[in-house]
Amino acid sequence: MHISIHFYSYFKDLAGCAETSEDILEGSRLADVLKTIFRRFPKLAAMEKSMLVAVGVDYQPRDYILKNGDEISLFPPVQGG
Amino acid sequence: MKHQLTITTEPIDEPALLRERRASAGMGAVIYFLGVVRETEDEKKIAAIEYEAFQKMVEHQFHLLFGQMEKRWPIESVRLVHRVGLVKVNEPSLWVEVIAPHRGEAFAACQWLIGEMKRVVPIWKKPVPA
Repeated sequence: MHISIHFYSYFKDLAGCAETSEDILEGSRLADVLKTIFRRFPKLAAMEKSMLVAVGVDYQPRDYILKNGDEISLFPPVQGG
Repeated sequence: MKHQLTITTEPIDEPALLRERRASAGMGAVIYFLGVVRETEDEKKIAAIEYEAFQKMVEHQFHLLFGQMEKRWPIESVRLVHRVGLVKVNEPSLWVEVIAPHRGEAFAACQWLIGEMKRVVPIWKKPVPA
């Protein structure tokens, strides 16, 4: 399965890019992909506790099972207003 | 409940928003809130704030919040404008209007909406030094 990962706010600077992609196994959970992302982009690993994670336009828990074509978004706490 | 959401790079046109206000005869409370960019951020002088938004998710999350508002309070309408891009000091970045039968529910709903926005709506700010 193929998924894309998008970074927002200063996470783009920490990752050095705005988006990337990964090939994952069927049945992979969000937590599995995050482990891979943290290996590829170690500066993001330090942000894990405060990191917000969405799939499409909804927040999802770390045990969410991914589907082919899912778009994951990783970003810091929001600051609108 | 009627709702209107505008995410824009354009300055907030308050007179136009006020002209477009519609409240039915049963509504006794019309309140609005304006969020303005302050001249300091983390005790440092700034010239502006650059707002970034994940637009598709911003719209979706606001509509979820409007849905929850409607269930909690007898609101007739809510209108919300949030600027993105560069917003200079003293300029408004947020405009929210809530119309309801009584002031209690209007203030409570407006306060709740802004609080929830700051928790779940994916908008970020980057201060621009003075």
